[in-house]
Amino acid sequence: MSIPPISALSAAAPASFVQPTQATQAAGNTDGAFGTSLASAIDGLQAMQSTSSALAIKAVTGDLADVHDYTIASTQAAVAMELTATIRNRAVDAFNEIMRMQA
Amino acid sequence: MGTFAAIGIAGSGLDVYRKWIDAVSDNLANINTVRASDEAAFQARYIVAQANDNQGGDSGGVHVAGAAFGSAEGRLVYEPGHPLADNEGYVRYPDIDMSSQMVQLIMAQRGYQANAAVIDRAKDMYTTALTIGRN
Repeated sequence: MSIPPISALSAAAPASFVQPTQATQAAGNTDGAFGTSLASAIDGLQAMQSTSSALAIKAVTGDLADVHDYTIASTQAAVAMELTATIRNRAVDAFNEIMRMQA
Repeated sequence: MGTFAAIGIAGSGLDVYRKWIDAVSDNLANINTVRASDEAAFQARYIVAQANDNQGGDSGGVHVAGAAFGSAEGRLVYEPGHPLADNEGYVRYPDIDMSSQMVQLIMAQRGYQANAAVIDRAKDMYTTALTIGRN
């Protein structure tokens, strides 16, 4: 029974050294994509919340034409907030799960 | 409309029903508005609802296309003691049927409630979707 893997091991080492860098680059790209989409989601959320607060000011000053305009805007902002928070929490959970991984 | 299409569509319904209630309240407020017989009577206001263009399939809803007006003829009522009465003792009342207006009021109110219920349910639905896989 021969044991050839000793030479194979030294040959495999550089390859396994190269692979992580590629993986890191790929992970970097994915991070960027997720970060971009999260940022745009947060932008949308911010727009919804500013619409909602503008309508709240209108309601207080008596300029609100429709009561339901404000309640709808605030509901949308609340649900979008929850959605964004959920996505962020899932992403952090996934990250923590990966960090807990052991060889 | 994206993520909150149902809420947006139901919101357009709320708009229309609110305007309908406005029109009914205007009609009821003016149901006793008397004019002299040589003037036009107060004209009842009716809302013309129109479905939104839904070519893409994900939009939709409804909007108020305009207002229609009732007869300016009104009805002549014999009230000789009225300050606006003409030589024969007639004044002009608007041609508005109160029971019909009350029925329209109920319809508008129920329609508004239905659309508000849709918004509530849609919100519940979205919240349910967020809890998928939480545990």
